[in-house]
Amino acid sequence: MSRDQEVMDVTEKVLNPENMAHSQIPTTVHAPADGSVPDEAVVLDTDRMNVYYGSFRAVRDVTLRVAENRITAMIGPSGCGKSTVLRCFNRMNDLIDGARVEGGVHYRNVDLYGSGVDPVEVRRRIGMVFQKPNPFPKSIYDNVAFGPKLTKLTKRTARSELDGVVESSLRKAALWDEVKDRLGSSALGLSGGQQQRLCIARAVACDPDVLLMDEPCSALDPIATGRIEDLMQEIKAEYTIVIVTHNMQQAARVSDCTAFFTVEVTGERDTRTGLLVEVDETTKIFSNPSDERTENYVTGRFG
Amino acid sequence: MPDNHDYRKALHNDIDELRVEVVRLAAMVGDVIVRATEALLSYDMDAAAELIMHDDEVDALSIDIEERCFKLLALQQPMASDLRAIVASMKINADIERSGDLMVNVAKGARRMYGVQLPPRLRGLIQQMSDEADRLLRLAVDAFSDRNGPLGAALNDIDDRLDLLQAEFVQAIFEAHAAGDIDLQAAVQLAVICRYYERVGDHAVNIGERVRFMTDGRLPEHEGAARVKARQAMAASAERFGVDNGDPGEAPDSP
Repeated sequence: MSRDQEVMDVTEKVLNPENMAHSQIPTTVHAPADGSVPDEAVVLDTDRMNVYYGSFRAVRDVTLRVAENRITAMIGPSGCGKSTVLRCFNRMNDLIDGARVEGGVHYRNVDLYGSGVDPVEVRRRIGMVFQKPNPFPKSIYDNVAFGPKLTKLTKRTARSELDGVVESSLRKAALWDEVKDRLGSSALGLSGGQQQRLCIARAVACDPDVLLMDEPCSALDPIATGRIEDLMQEIKAEYTIVIVTHNMQQAARVSDCTAFFTVEVTGERDTRTGLLVEVDETTKIFSNPSDERTENYVTGRFG
Repeated sequence: MPDNHDYRKALHNDIDELRVEVVRLAAMVGDVIVRATEALLSYDMDAAAELIMHDDEVDALSIDIEERCFKLLALQQPMASDLRAIVASMKINADIERSGDLMVNVAKGARRMYGVQLPPRLRGLIQQMSDEADRLLRLAVDAFSDRNGPLGAALNDIDDRLDLLQAEFVQAIFEAHAAGDIDLQAAVQLAVICRYYERVGDHAVNIGERVRFMTDGRLPEHEGAARVKARQAMAASAERFGVDNGDPGEAPDSP
C-alpha cells in the first residue's frame, strides 16, 4: 500500500464520511537520492569494485563517485572496508602481498589499475595523510621539500623555487607562522597536531589533485583536530578530499558527502566482507538517511 | 558487532522519557480544554480563576521539556531519527503550550461573558467545538506517541470539521444577535472565543506535520520552499543571460 493511500485511509477512518471535506493532503516524500554527482566533475569513481586479500574478499561491489572540490567522508564500523577502499584510490594496497582489485577504479576516467599506469605518479597526484603523524626524521624544511625533490630529481629544482614550494605548502597547511623561524629544526620536535599538519604540507608540496586522509585526527586532541578540520575547509577549493573517519560527528562537521559502509558476515566460516550501503549528501545521511542500516548505525542501533 | 544491541541506550532512554513528558503536557492541556469550556458554559468564575493560575504549571513543564531537548542536542549529538525526534518534540512542545494559552484566553473570556444568557444553539456549538479541539489534540499526540506519520498527515483534513463548526458558530452569532438574543458586546466576545478553539485545531495540525517530519523527514512547507528556490534560480539565470523569462511562475496548485 502506498504511503498516500495509507494517509487517505487514516483520514477516512477518523472522519465521518459525510463530514469529510475532500482536500488534497500533501504527501510528497523525498525520492531516495542515489548519491549521483550529476553536475560536478567526477574525480574518482569505482564500479562494482571488489578487493581481495588472497582468497578473502574484503570488500564487495563498491560503486562510488567522488566529486571534485568536495570533501567525501567514508564512515562505518570496523572491518567495513572503508580504509581498504581509500587505499585503492592511490594503489597503496599494491604493497600488500596477495591484495587484488577487481572491477573498475578510475581517476578522471583513467583506469588506475590499467597497464602502463605508474603507481608512483598515481601517488603523486593522489596524496595520502595517515592516522598517526609520520614525519621523516629530518628537518621541517626537508620533510616538505622531500616530495618535490624526488619528483623533479632530473630537473634539479632551483633552491629558490623549492623555498617557494615549502613556504606555500606550509601556508596551505596553516603551519607557516608557527615554524617559519625554525625550518631547520627536526620535525620530530613538533607537537602531534603540528606534525599532522606538516604531513599535510608534505602531501600538498607534491601538487596533488586529491588528498586521501585515513583517520587524520584520531591521534590528536580536540584543539588540534579543530585546526585540521578548518584546514580541510580552507583547502578543499584546491583539492578533492576523501576522509575515512571513525568519528561520525567529524564526518558530519567536515564533509559534503558521506558514504556509509557496513560489514556482512557470510558463510559458515564467519567471513566478513565490507560493502557500501549508501552514499548521499552529508546532511541527508545524518538527518534522514534512506537505508535502514545507515539509520541504525548513525543512531547507535544495530540489529 | 553483536546483533540487536543499542549502543546509545542512555540517549534513547532520554528520548523515550522526553516523549512521555510531551504526552503528559498534552494530557494537561487536554484537561484544560475541557475545564475551560465547563467554566465558560457554567459561569464558574472560581474554575476560570483556577485555570488561569494552573497555566503556570503547564508553562513549567513546557520549559522543562525544552531544556531536556536543548541538553540532548548540546551533549549527545543525536543523528537521523533521534535528531528528528528531539527537534520535533521541541516544536510540538511549543504548539501544545500555545494551545494551553489559548484555553486560558477562553477562561478569561468566561469572566467577560459572566451573566450573559447563551442561547442553547450557541451553547451546543461551543461544546462541540471544545470536544473537537480536544479530540484533535488527542489524535495529534497519539500520532506523536505512536510515531504514526500517516495519522499526523491526516490531521490537516480532520481539522476541517472544526473549521466548519467555527463557520457555523459565527453564522449562529449573527442570527442570535439579529434575533436580539445577545447584545453586540457578547457577540464580539463569542466570535473571539470560537477563534481560540479553531486555533487549537491549527496547532494540532502543526503537531501532525511535525510527526510526519519525525517519521519521514518531510514537511509540507518543503514544497513551498522548493518553489521559492526554483523561482530564485530562474530569476538569477534570467539576470545573468539578460533573458526575460517573463513571469517566473505562479506557485502551482497544491498537489
